[in-house]
Amino acid sequence: MSENNSIKVVRLSGELEIARKDEIRAALASAEQVTPVLLDLAGVTYADSIALTELLRFCIEAEHEHRRVALVIQSPQFSRLVQYAGLASAFKIFDDSERARAYLDDGEGR
Amino acid sequence: MGKSPQLRLRCPAQSQYVAPVRHALGAFLAALEFERQWREDVTTAAGEALANIVEHAYAKQPNDGERYLELLAKLDRKGRLSLEVCDGGSFVQHQPVPGRGFGLRIIRAIAAEMSIDTSDGTCVRMTFARKR
Repeated sequence: MSENNSIKVVRLSGELEIARKDEIRAALASAEQVTPVLLDLAGVTYADSIALTELLRFCIEAEHEHRRVALVIQSPQFSRLVQYAGLASAFKIFDDSERARAYLDDGEGR
Repeated sequence: MGKSPQLRLRCPAQSQYVAPVRHALGAFLAALEFERQWREDVTTAAGEALANIVEHAYAKQPNDGERYLELLAKLDRKGRLSLEVCDGGSFVQHQPVPGRGFGLRIIRAIAAEMSIDTSDGTCVRMTFARKR
């Protein structure tokens, strides 16, 4: 996890799946009540619905609190998982961190 | 004609075994020269069924009973891949909870056919159209 300027960055990589549920929760908990948040998942090679549920929970709570969250996803498997779950509109997803940062820096909709 | 290739795995129903079983299935499909995206989708569906067992199947059973999961993958006579992911636990029909329950939705989006047999433990049976 790192912070650059005012953006809180949570970085997870590898396979986000059931055996790492607690680790995913802890990483997301570190960014609770913070805005804006960049969830840098560019290094994720696989994700399952358990990881997706944790991400969704975090993003719903952020939305209720008018906090901005952007996700960077590059894995085709992860991108398709989001589509298969019918959650494409539930997240602000970008394929690189520059675009995600531009969205978060923009401040539109804060 | 030889027997259709099969992969059969059985291990404890614990979260640390889900990824190795999924990886073994991926390697089996790679050996059969199935294309990458299709392998990823099949292993994604398998991963959902396996994780569901670990999360729910044995929630109502005593700890001293055997808690296992099984995976059987095989090509059928029509050249389609059939996949069974089974456990010896109890099937629990959960009330829908907002923000949960994406696993079956994901499986249905990927598999050509999917059914759940709860007559003896629980078996999720999936069929995937063949792609190479």
